[in-house]
Amino acid sequence: MAEIVGVLGVTHNPLMWASLRETVPPDLAHVAANFDRLRSHVAGLRPDVIVLVASDHFHMFMMSNMPAFLIGKAPRMRAGHPNESRGFGLETTMVPGDPGLGAHLLGGPDLAPVFDFSFSDEPWIDHSFLVPLLLLTPDLDIPVVPVFSNCNAPPIPVAARFAALGSYLAEAIATFPSAQRVLLVGSGHLAHELGGPRQFLGVSPDPGFDEKAVSWMAEGDLEGAVAGTGFGRLTEAGNESYQFLNFITCLAATGGRQATMAEGTPTRFGNLPFFSWDMT
Amino acid sequence: MSRYMVNKLMWDVDRSDEALARFKEDPTVFLDDWESLAERPFPPYPDGGHLTDTERAAVESRDYGALYAMGVNPFLLWQFARSVSVPDELGIDGLITSFREAVAPHGYPDFYT
Repeated sequence: MAEIVGVLGVTHNPLMWASLRETVPPDLAHVAANFDRLRSHVAGLRPDVIVLVASDHFHMFMMSNMPAFLIGKAPRMRAGHPNESRGFGLETTMVPGDPGLGAHLLGGPDLAPVFDFSFSDEPWIDHSFLVPLLLLTPDLDIPVVPVFSNCNAPPIPVAARFAALGSYLAEAIATFPSAQRVLLVGSGHLAHELGGPRQFLGVSPDPGFDEKAVSWMAEGDLEGAVAGTGFGRLTEAGNESYQFLNFITCLAATGGRQATMAEGTPTRFGNLPFFSWDMT
Repeated sequence: MSRYMVNKLMWDVDRSDEALARFKEDPTVFLDDWESLAERPFPPYPDGGHLTDTERAAVESRDYGALYAMGVNPFLLWQFARSVSVPDELGIDGLITSFREAVAPHGYPDFYT
């Protein structure tokens, strides 16, 4: 059966990615070091496939057609959209997929239908997927099963559903008849704002939230994380903080383990999340 | 109020280099074209893509504070603002400052569609 060999939660801030492309600026040295560390960690885990939970930012989906949770099952997929190339210098590329695992995660005769996922045979992932991939696996040679969660267009699923998603993914991966080594990655933010009064403050819009959020992961406190991330509280933390919920999926997938790395790294973009759980 | 249509308009402008160039060249002409979709046999958008007069005026004049107060999606609004205003009208730092001043009085409007 397939096995989850590691779980990570990281930032996908595209401006951060753009700032790291050439000479690393001094204020991002620690961020670059964290990604170096996680890149080596991932290489050591030798994953055969990455299940990546992230939130499309109105590239694949618009309010005309907005799934709460969707799994992409395609052998190859486009990554990066034209306005991300224009805005961030993120060139469109191709990423390999794993339609077999993707289809399995959708559920089937042997899996209780805990989730009624939407699916796509033609996923086109955006920076929320591509930035973590470029920073963790720069060759983009490991197949990806993209799991899209709606964190950008309210109504957003409640935190308990993100936790249920994590438990489900762990169970579903463990029943996939293959010897694949699976890396589970969540992509998101701590307190973060875009398009509101507190964007680009140069610091976190809510350091108190960040501190608590990091401690939930460090302590493996799934219950606290779910209780502390209602829509109202996340909005208080910043109007883009909903993507923290993807880390709750990661925490739940570990069964509520303590993270071995849990950090909100201070930068000009706010505190950037870095979480890692050992699964051995 | 057609919050969804304003979101859709901003999305249409930002996601295509060609649409963005046309909007920047002349927002009035762009909006006339966009709204004229309503006259076609199979309008692609609900209500034919019509904006209210207030919405249209806010988009046309790039009044980001008014759009924000209406409860458009903040992410879509910022993407739209950055794409249409930078670098022709303002540098990015100038936009960040003026955008913050424009939206701050309105707090956190409900942006459900």
